[in-house]
Amino acid sequence: MRAQLRKELAQVLRDRLALALALLLPLLQLLLMGNALSLIVRDLPLVVQDLDSSPASRRLIDGFRGSLTFRVAPWPTDRQPEAALTAGVARGVLIIPDGFHRSVLRGVDAPVQILVDGADGNTARLLAGYAGRVTAAFNVEQGAAVQPPVSAEVRFWYNPERSSKKFYGPGIFVMGLSMFPPLLAALGMSREGERKTILQVYVSNISAAEFLLGKVLAFMIVAFGQCLLMLATLFIAFDVRLAGDPVPFLIATVLYAFCTASFGSMIGAAIPSQVAAMQAVMMGGFLLVFMLSGLIFPLANIPDGLRWLSNLVWARYYIEIVRDAFLQGGGWSAVWYKVLIIGGIGGVFFGLGWRRLRRMQLEH
Amino acid sequence: MGSRVLGFGLGFVMWALGFVSEEISVLRRWLSPALRAAFVKEVGQIRRDRQVVRAMIIPPLLQLLLFGTVMSPAVTDLKLGIVDGSRTPVSRDLIAALAESGSFRLQGIYPSANELGTDISDGLLDAGIVIPSDLPRDVGRGRPARIQVLLNAMNANTAAVSEGYIEGILQGFNRSLAAGGVDAGVRQVAATGAPRRGRAVLHPAYLFNPGMVTTWFLVTGLLGQLLLMNGMITSSATMVREREAGTLEQLLMTPARTSEIIIAKIVPPFLLLGIPGLIALAVLRFYFQVPFRGSFTLLAVASAACVFCGIGLGTVVATLTKSAQQAQLSSFFIFPPMIALSGALTPAEAMPAWMQPWAIVNPIYHFGEISRGALIRGGGFPELWPNLAALLIFALVLMSVSVWRFRQQLT
Repeated sequence: MRAQLRKELAQVLRDRLALALALLLPLLQLLLMGNALSLIVRDLPLVVQDLDSSPASRRLIDGFRGSLTFRVAPWPTDRQPEAALTAGVARGVLIIPDGFHRSVLRGVDAPVQILVDGADGNTARLLAGYAGRVTAAFNVEQGAAVQPPVSAEVRFWYNPERSSKKFYGPGIFVMGLSMFPPLLAALGMSREGERKTILQVYVSNISAAEFLLGKVLAFMIVAFGQCLLMLATLFIAFDVRLAGDPVPFLIATVLYAFCTASFGSMIGAAIPSQVAAMQAVMMGGFLLVFMLSGLIFPLANIPDGLRWLSNLVWARYYIEIVRDAFLQGGGWSAVWYKVLIIGGIGGVFFGLGWRRLRRMQLEH
Repeated sequence: MGSRVLGFGLGFVMWALGFVSEEISVLRRWLSPALRAAFVKEVGQIRRDRQVVRAMIIPPLLQLLLFGTVMSPAVTDLKLGIVDGSRTPVSRDLIAALAESGSFRLQGIYPSANELGTDISDGLLDAGIVIPSDLPRDVGRGRPARIQVLLNAMNANTAAVSEGYIEGILQGFNRSLAAGGVDAGVRQVAATGAPRRGRAVLHPAYLFNPGMVTTWFLVTGLLGQLLLMNGMITSSATMVREREAGTLEQLLMTPARTSEIIIAKIVPPFLLLGIPGLIALAVLRFYFQVPFRGSFTLLAVASAACVFCGIGLGTVVATLTKSAQQAQLSSFFIFPPMIALSGALTPAEAMPAWMQPWAIVNPIYHFGEISRGALIRGGGFPELWPNLAALLIFALVLMSVSVWRFRQQLT
């Protein structure tokens, strides 16, 4: 078995493409996607149509200009305000009607309209929220208004600066671990089937379980190397820190490496064609993780009929563990059963791969 | 509805006819029997290759349907826990306002802030609200009262949107208090005797998407990605297969000229790739109910350019790799950065500033701008020509590079 492990590692190290896949690509993916994924648009372009052009309207516009979220530009009063949105110049148009200043002085409610580009629903909702806050601050500052009777004092737990990359970085870390080790494992295993070198294994005195374990261990080592590199990147470039007890995370990482390496080996054993095996791993290692593990969007948004599928996706549990370790710090009490599930799924993959190998031996 | 369907159908036919007629004129100009034969051979080859045809249609459509259904940034049904320190009609009114808003799902009333905190950190709650015991007294006396809101901000977007929801609910609650004669400000101002100023009241209107369907953004962006990936995968697969079978040399022995071989290699897959492209558009229109408000011709041209970019990329990849396996592996190097920098899933403007310029060299980004601009915002050529120009330039450059690479391989 040790010989098997050594042979497998030597094969990966010799193949430059495989080495790049194992170490370079996950890093590149982490840096690119971890930084690029974000739903929060800062610096929203807003055009203003000031039909009142009075001291009060200018103060309101200054309020928008002063908030860091908006980039304010004027819009000629003779042009249709919607055109600014269609032309893609702005995400919103603030229209201050004639008589705004007068209403404010008279103590009457002064309506102001904001047209929001709804093409991107999420940004639209954020923009409306920001604009409401700016207007409320304007009212209080004017002295006009009125401290509201009840106001909220909001605390942002676990991610006070509300950084997107601290949320997506750990997620992409999991995606890398779910994609590349099983890909290499599946390629290594199906190569044996494709080139019939597996027949040599049958005639040697190595048992199916030992053979499989050697393979799985080799790709677990690949996964650990990749994991270390990506963790270092997370610490340096993503400012991520351990939030609590790291033990559940470490144990889960070992089990997860076992789980994905077994998944890859199982696929490789079942499909003795490298191209087809690669496609199967992409389905499991990439598409399922991307869609059904809560990597980008909350799992709660998946329609009821499909949401149960996410319970079968191994990456889902690991993502939750990683996010807990780096952001939330809930520790064992929050994640213990997720660690067990990962181990369980890994055991099932290993068992299936082992059975498949034994049966193949009988067939040949 | 009927006229829209008709318009869609007409656009469809025009699009198809446009390309077919172009084909005919090309054929007529050269009218070379070799070219015609090469054409027949290519079309037949793709058609016979069931695997390629299946891979061309099923996975992209499945992905579009699944991604569009499963992935949504909407923030709804947030799990909320409340600590009610006062237990009075005022606090119960507030709790009712939060529960009725539809944005939150009340999970329970907690006896203490500690227990609330534990459930937030165990992931059982997304948000918690602590109502202080002196809330009714403060409200009664016209003193501003504060409630504490705890948000799980791991997902920054969810936290930002939840904050907006809570503020909206509180505004409504405050208005209802004012209607009931309680308005802290009025009393304060009345006490100081200063004249009261008018409030600016903001009325937001959501244009193009009053129902705030978040899926539209996603599927319109995804469309470009699928068109491009599909073109790339199909062309590299057919090319690699030709080489693995060793029939590329045989092509050279035929009386067809190199340019004819190349045209025959590019045009049939392009026409065939139009089929899944049109099905995808139909899925957008009828399944996801994306409005088709603007110029359909613009979208059709952009789609065609996107497919051409894909074919060009696929051909270049195929000429650079040695086997089908390598061609497939190389897509791992191309797709992740391309998807990350495309603005297809999340807005490109939300990327960090140093990354945003890179979106400009991404065809998927330009296609997304066009599809969103033309379909949802109702834009046309005057607004979107820079994106279209960029897309056409990419198509042209990628096709030229691929033709050059292919020629090199032939000679």
